[in-house]
Amino acid sequence: MSNAVVDSDAGTTATSRADEVKRLERREGWKRRLPILPALIYTIVVTQIPFLFTLFYSLTDWRIDKVEPRQFVGIENYTSLTSETEKFFRDAAWVSVQMTVMAVLFSLIVGTLLAILLDRQFFGQGFIRTLLITPFLVMPVVAGLMWKTQMLNFNFGIINWLRNGVGLESVEYATKHPMASVILVLVWQWSPFMMLIVLAGLQGQDQSVLEAARVDGASTFGIFRQITLPQLRPFLELGTLLGAIYLIQVYDHIEVIVGGQPGANNLPFYIAQRSIGGGNRFGLASTYSIIVVIASIIIANIGLRVLSNLLEDDS
Amino acid sequence: MAVFSRSPKPEPVLGQNRAVGHLLSFVTWIIGLVFFFPLFWLTVNGFKEESVASADPTLRFDPTLDRFAEVTEANSGLLSFAEAFSNSLWVVLISTAFVMVLAIPAAYALSIRPMKMWRDVLFFFISTKFLPIVGIIMPVWIIARDLNLLGTRTVLVVLYTAMNLPLAVWMLRSFFAEVPKELIEAAQIDGCSLLGQIRQVLLPIVAPGVAATALLCVIFAWNEFFFALQLNPTGASTIPVWVNSQQKFQGQFIATLSAASVLATLPVVIAGWIAQKRMIRGLAMGAIK
Amino acid sequence: MAEVRYEKASRIYGFGAVGEVRAVNQLDLDIADGELLVLVGPSGSGKSTALRMLAGLETVNEGSIFINDVDVTLKPPQERDIAMVFQNYALYPSMTVAENMGFALKQAGVSKSDRRQQVEEAARILDLEPYLDRKPKNLSGGQRQRVAMGRAIVRSPQVFLMDEPLSNLDAKLRVQTRTELVDLQARLGTTMVYVTHDQVEAMTMGHRVAVLDHGVLQQVDSPRTLYSQPANLFVAGFIGSPAMNLIEVDRSGDTLSIGTTAVPLPDDVSAQIRSSDVNTFVVGVRPEHLGLTDDGIPASVTVVEELGSEAFVHTEVAHQGGTLTVVVRVEGETNIRRGDSISIGVAGPVHVFEAQSGIRLGASA
Repeated sequence: MSNAVVDSDAGTTATSRADEVKRLERREGWKRRLPILPALIYTIVVTQIPFLFTLFYSLTDWRIDKVEPRQFVGIENYTSLTSETEKFFRDAAWVSVQMTVMAVLFSLIVGTLLAILLDRQFFGQGFIRTLLITPFLVMPVVAGLMWKTQMLNFNFGIINWLRNGVGLESVEYATKHPMASVILVLVWQWSPFMMLIVLAGLQGQDQSVLEAARVDGASTFGIFRQITLPQLRPFLELGTLLGAIYLIQVYDHIEVIVGGQPGANNLPFYIAQRSIGGGNRFGLASTYSIIVVIASIIIANIGLRVLSNLLEDDS
Repeated sequence: MAVFSRSPKPEPVLGQNRAVGHLLSFVTWIIGLVFFFPLFWLTVNGFKEESVASADPTLRFDPTLDRFAEVTEANSGLLSFAEAFSNSLWVVLISTAFVMVLAIPAAYALSIRPMKMWRDVLFFFISTKFLPIVGIIMPVWIIARDLNLLGTRTVLVVLYTAMNLPLAVWMLRSFFAEVPKELIEAAQIDGCSLLGQIRQVLLPIVAPGVAATALLCVIFAWNEFFFALQLNPTGASTIPVWVNSQQKFQGQFIATLSAASVLATLPVVIAGWIAQKRMIRGLAMGAIK
Repeated sequence: MAEVRYEKASRIYGFGAVGEVRAVNQLDLDIADGELLVLVGPSGSGKSTALRMLAGLETVNEGSIFINDVDVTLKPPQERDIAMVFQNYALYPSMTVAENMGFALKQAGVSKSDRRQQVEEAARILDLEPYLDRKPKNLSGGQRQRVAMGRAIVRSPQVFLMDEPLSNLDAKLRVQTRTELVDLQARLGTTMVYVTHDQVEAMTMGHRVAVLDHGVLQQVDSPRTLYSQPANLFVAGFIGSPAMNLIEVDRSGDTLSIGTTAVPLPDDVSAQIRSSDVNTFVVGVRPEHLGLTDDGIPASVTVVEELGSEAFVHTEVAHQGGTLTVVVRVEGETNIRRGDSISIGVAGPVHVFEAQSGIRLGASA
């Protein structure tokens, strides 16, 4: 009942047929890749190309407040980093390391504990979860100002009021313990984030494994240590990675809470201060930036290896 | 996998015993309230007179809306609330729209496998988040200055789009990857074009995920302070800069600052409360699934 | 209505240094108009890939595929006039049943009233009328399966492609739907290519069955021929449940013995063995072609599976210095218990294959 149509490719040779197949596959491949290009090009133009400029600046003695043309100075800026005059840079680097490590670590610990507490059915579970995630949503500037003026304040901060209530002296937190103050606020904001990631891990556990362990007579703590914790590992790693990405770049809290007093200035803050923040030393500050980027690349490489292990599972 | 599914309820890590269970519930409530307390206090202070806010903490006072009225009034020469709010709204909405237009096709292509290098491309996007902002701030400042873009909303739109793009691609990919590939194949067999496949088949399914991703971009852009401060010190600046300017170096300002903080925070906090489940699922599952 | 023809069609993954993998290798297959052909094989056999090549969802790297003598090798899926039912049904979750069924017609620009009429007709055939306004998530598994079928038949395509459409149903529903599907195909008379890993499904549904393994077509024939005359060792082991007893035997002259008991062989097989330079063969006997005799192969019973009308007795038999398991079917009720010693005799056709190549000896299909 069907009228036979003459094979349109009857005359073509085998090789042109194979070429045609390859051409189709290539076109199919481009059809898949094309949608990525706009996003890719945009990202490269806005993030990667400026970075090359930074690299170039770092090899000059450029100060934008001086009219003299910038001079190419090679790696002089880099070698100067170990000199006595660059002590503040090294301090800032050390502050960055301490601040990032402590903020990530404490957020992860607090967040995990909160997740474990929330991972039960109880009255008001959803309400408490909502309260607990709110700090993460709060604008960092607001979080910093709020803690500085209303929680940690020497005169009318709640914490000093409580100290006085039990007979202790008031403490000027932001000046006496600038780094601890910043870390406290960071942990307050980032614990909820860690909590949600760990909670996702806890609730995604394979239930049959837990039941099997219970049937095998494992204790609650034993199940947590030997089964839950290994299953949580990818989530803890993800939390650490994402937390580190953001916390290494903290600026807002420092600007607002300590505002340039010594003791809590990390690298992003110091670099901004030395360049567009009035320091005008673009050449030198670019050198600092390059150092930060190199350090970040090292951390990122470790982090991406972790991520790549995570992505292995679903390919 | 539903992250916050209620049924079937996963076995909790803690608490098989009833008494212990009640104690743990109580402890959780206390911790939740302590965590939220600073924000509660901030809100309360916003309703106080300046003299009451700058004194020993108290809950006994006559609430007033005067501070809210004061901070929203226009101040000559200074950035007003109305200006900052409309700048923020403009920058946030336009940049989020750009992010979505760029990220949706990219995430769609990355979620359909097999595609060689998909992992490398995804890594590239995510790795740009590792590039510290300080690594590019100087050239960005110079370029913006030379293009006469300092102090404009445009420069913030450009930067916020770049800032949120990797995260959006990352989250959207995980939502798209959950859509069975057979659905797209079925649409193909049914004679649907590529655009039709995205519009008629894919988007209705992933709409909640797309909304959650957009909302997260809105939150990050709304809260951004560094670029807004450094590139926009004058006219076109946004809400975070406005809040920071409510901090005075003499006189009492805590109640005013609190009222301003509440106004600045409320929009994204409410948005975050509404979308919390999906937002975090997208973040957490981005890597796992 | 259409004929389908695969001509040396191959799907090749990973060109170049990695080395190529042929998911489907030089497939030659003719499917007649109105035929229900089943593609069966274990996972990784290439059966789904072969179907997807016909659908246009996989590239055909070598060879060609014809539908009604039209070369469709390079055509995209929508130009092939086919309909496919997926294992997970792939129903559009945001559309109602009626919208799902009418989607292809809508894409083709069929008017709203025509669409409605065709959807309603298909719904009547499949008893889906009460559900037309529901969303897929509000349907049971069996109803979803029928919607997927409905989406296919609404278009009256040239060929139906079925990719394990029943494997998400529970056992009872699967058997029922199987019969309905065969009936539906017979009524519509549309060519159907059906992929399954379940050999029972293949045997009960297919007019002809094509057995694939590692991308290579092993045998294509009617279910009965596949069962009675498997072309090679793979088909012999794959088709039939419980599986054929396959016993490796070193020949002595032209006789093959299990233990010390010579297996009765047809003359042409004996002749082939005699003239062959192969030493090791595999003797295949289906459980129902073995029976209890007084003077057969001694065996000790390990497990008895009683199914009521019949029983399968699993036994251990001494053979060439070791033991091997042989399954015997016994009619009706049986008194045989674990530990009993019984004697097995061959009471039906015996299949002989070369052990290395797997090729069948004697008359082939």
